[in-house]
Amino acid sequence: MSGEVIHMNCKEFEEVLHDLDRPGTHGFDLDLREGALLHAEGCSHCAQLMTESESLDFSLHALALRDDVLLAPAHVEAQLLNQFRQHRDAVSSSRSRWRLVALATAAGVLLAAAGSFHHWSFSGMGSGAGSDSGTHMGSQPGTNGTVNNISGSTAASNVGNVGAAESTSGAQGAGSEYASAFVPLPYADDPSTLEGGMIVRVSFSQPALASLGLPVTDLGAAEQIPADLVLSEDGTPQAIRLVSQTSANQ
Amino acid sequence: MSKAIELTDDGLVQRMIAGDEEAFTLLYRRRHPAVYRFVLHMGGNAAIADDVTQEVFMALIRDAKRFDPARGNLSAFLFGVARNHLYKRWEQDRRLVPIAGDADDPASFANLKGAGNGLTARSGGRNGHNGSGGGNGNGHRPATIGDELIAKETVDRVRQAVATLPENYREVVVLCELEEMSYEAAAAALDCPIGTVRSRLHRARMILIEKLREPQAVRRASAVGE
Repeated sequence: MSGEVIHMNCKEFEEVLHDLDRPGTHGFDLDLREGALLHAEGCSHCAQLMTESESLDFSLHALALRDDVLLAPAHVEAQLLNQFRQHRDAVSSSRSRWRLVALATAAGVLLAAAGSFHHWSFSGMGSGAGSDSGTHMGSQPGTNGTVNNISGSTAASNVGNVGAAESTSGAQGAGSEYASAFVPLPYADDPSTLEGGMIVRVSFSQPALASLGLPVTDLGAAEQIPADLVLSEDGTPQAIRLVSQTSANQ
Repeated sequence: MSKAIELTDDGLVQRMIAGDEEAFTLLYRRRHPAVYRFVLHMGGNAAIADDVTQEVFMALIRDAKRFDPARGNLSAFLFGVARNHLYKRWEQDRRLVPIAGDADDPASFANLKGAGNGLTARSGGRNGHNGSGGGNGNGHRPATIGDELIAKETVDRVRQAVATLPENYREVVVLCELEEMSYEAAAAALDCPIGTVRSRLHRARMILIEKLREPQAVRRASAVGE
């Protein structure tokens, strides 16, 4: 309260009339109330309005007091408590169910991971010890055949899998045939993407083999060397393995 | 229970969400009277008030996480839910239930126990200010039967006047005058700006003043309603 008298007209009076003494509004200001009272003293219309407004306040207050004792019937509370218990039980069982589902999912994921790890490690061993067993070609699986400096690798094992699927095209039936592991060619795609490839038996001259990056030094230049080529779906050679000439001729 | 009593509404809601039945019971007992009265004033019928109050607290049971203390207090949230349920019900009924005049309806407001059992005004008027219009209820002298009757008539008149207000005016009168909510809380409950609450309340009060100036007209309207 500043003590300054606020002068207002009828419009301003009506603006603040309904907020007078209302907490949280500008009408709660004592100066404003004094100003309104001052205006009402000199304006009969506003004085009557103020009286009626205060009367309305009183009546509304009386109404609020009278209705203060009104409560919802007891059966509403009883029904709500039942509903609350049911909801709580439903939520609780739902949570248990979700926990079980989460556990089962986690167990499944673990099993799948373990399975794929097992498969991976098994095939990893296969690339070293039995890549050629997948080709059903040799009586001595794992041998590098006549080309000693071509060793089995993961890539070779992968293409070896292709070979397993496609071995009928080349080496099936050649019971004593020896073959090296597949070696990816320098420009080949990632061997892991080699799905659905095809193996073809071809004969290479030594220079041709050398151009593919195979160090074949023991053979005569004119000699044709049989080899299996893995072709991708678009026909591009992806890997090569040498087949023992002697065995192939048998 | 003693610990729970000390908890705020927000704390009780959190405990209720965690499955504490005691917290829910306390919340219900603390907050349902205002919700019930609001619905009763808006719907004018005890059966509707029972149903809607139950629906409001059912909504709290199911979706307590929807209550965001940052947007307003629990009362405002509950009033908002109650209002939505009322509007839905009105849409279904396609008509507004008259609050007064149906003296034969056992569920009507006028026939409720409690409503109208003797008037003892608190301090009179808003914020302890004693208005000049009512006279009775200050406790300075014992109320006579005549005073009681006059007071009852006054209350009935204002109840009827409130009941005949358009609903958007009625709800602000119920919230800001009868439930003594601040403009801010009422705005949160009604999901509208504070200025809208203020202007609606001013307009509603002017309408009420007009209605109470002519008690005969209200009585005639009541007779027509019957």
